[in-house]
Amino acid sequence: MWQWFFRLGSPKWFYEMSGKWLPWLFVLMTALLSVGIVWALLYVPQDYQQGDTIRIMYVHVPVASISLACFPLMAVAGVITLVWKMKLADMVAKCAAPIGAWFTAVALATGAIWGQPIWGTWWAWDARLTSMLIQFFLLIGVIALRSAIESTDAAAKACALLSIVGAINVPIIKYSVEWWNTLHQPASNFSMAEDSPFGPEIWVPLVIMIFAVYCFFVISLILSTRNEILERERRSQWVVDLIADESTK
Amino acid sequence: MTDASKTSHGSLFKKELRAVGADHEQVSTFAAFRATLRRDLLIALKRRNDLLNPLMFFLIVVSLFPLGVSSDPQELTRIAAGAVWVSALLASMLSLDNLFRADYEDGSLEQLLLSSQPLYFMVLAKNISHWLISGLPVVLLAPLLAYMLYLPADAYWALVLTLLLGTPVLSLFGAIGVALTVGLGSRGLILAVIVLPLTVPVLIIGAKAVTDASLGLPLGMHFSLLGALLALSLSLAPLASAAALKISVN
Repeated sequence: MWQWFFRLGSPKWFYEMSGKWLPWLFVLMTALLSVGIVWALLYVPQDYQQGDTIRIMYVHVPVASISLACFPLMAVAGVITLVWKMKLADMVAKCAAPIGAWFTAVALATGAIWGQPIWGTWWAWDARLTSMLIQFFLLIGVIALRSAIESTDAAAKACALLSIVGAINVPIIKYSVEWWNTLHQPASNFSMAEDSPFGPEIWVPLVIMIFAVYCFFVISLILSTRNEILERERRSQWVVDLIADESTK
Repeated sequence: MTDASKTSHGSLFKKELRAVGADHEQVSTFAAFRATLRRDLLIALKRRNDLLNPLMFFLIVVSLFPLGVSSDPQELTRIAAGAVWVSALLASMLSLDNLFRADYEDGSLEQLLLSSQPLYFMVLAKNISHWLISGLPVVLLAPLLAYMLYLPADAYWALVLTLLLGTPVLSLFGAIGVALTVGLGSRGLILAVIVLPLTVPVLIIGAKAVTDASLGLPLGMHFSLLGALLALSLSLAPLASAAALKISVN
């Protein structure tokens, strides 16, 4: 039963398989993204309060939801690194940190652009904004620790531990910040009813956009993990062969 | 080398191991815990500067607030709780650096890791002694500084109590960061970057409790939350610090 798990841990196997997945993921992402963006920007009706600014939601919500998934991902990768000493898990965790920080930054930026017309301010010390900001700081901390430790192996373990500690802390931070201050609109409940203000014609494109941005996240993660694999395994025979093949082409 | 000599060497080594092991068995975990605590306290008491520096830092940072904000008592009253708490947070952060460093440099940290005692209790002993040396004085000095910032009189007990519950959490969290960075050349800033975001809940709850106390609001919830954080970090943080020390020293 564990065989697939350990095979997944082999960088070579992952490199070969992800090479096969990537074209399909690209096709899927392009399809979802073009449908989602055109639908969201041109065909979604204006919100009765927020007008056209509601369309920022179709970028903001997907990006924010994925940036929230980043810390759990790094923590799971960290557990795998510490328990099974799987190199691939650490490579994924290393690549996920900067991508997650970027997604968090984009979520904050789109939030600011949305907040300006609706709240009348670019920045407010509201609970969700603040906890996103602190998540950004936590990710920066992991990246800084990684770059400060020279030995790859020690950096892997140290960052794994810090990610786990951070992941335990993220919910505590979230609740304490929420308890401290709340201004952000609560997450809306999706509804199938046609007459609901948040009916299918609003949320179907949103779901499409969420899947599209997830594809984008996975593609970025795979691409940068593949780079990391080549860099770390550059002395192993299969990478040498691969590069020899590429250069003769 | 013949087979016979190998085995004789091997068995000799085993005998030595057994002798060492027997010695260790005689030392109970509690005795080792007490010995570590005592040793760290003695070392700290002999280095007066380590005792004074966090206090001086705390004093200086708090006095920067009136200089930077305003000397108006009303305005200072409003920021007093937060200012004292932020300064205490920074003071405990800066004093963290000497938690494991001297032991790392002279090799006694390695001995601690090699000992057969559970590392959790050893790290906990170091944490406790460190808090007694650099955390407790800050807590005791806080009311005086709060007075300088015109904190309302009703809030003094809340300030001392939240700091008493909160500063150990700060040291316990901080110890994880110190343990992760103990082997690095330049630690100061990276330690703050790693640890400060983790301390946000303590700061929020502590400062809000003091503010609420000055407004005469009930405080049961604040103290329960801080107590919960303390219980959680007492039971989990030394485990994480121990694991981090093993990674950093290896």
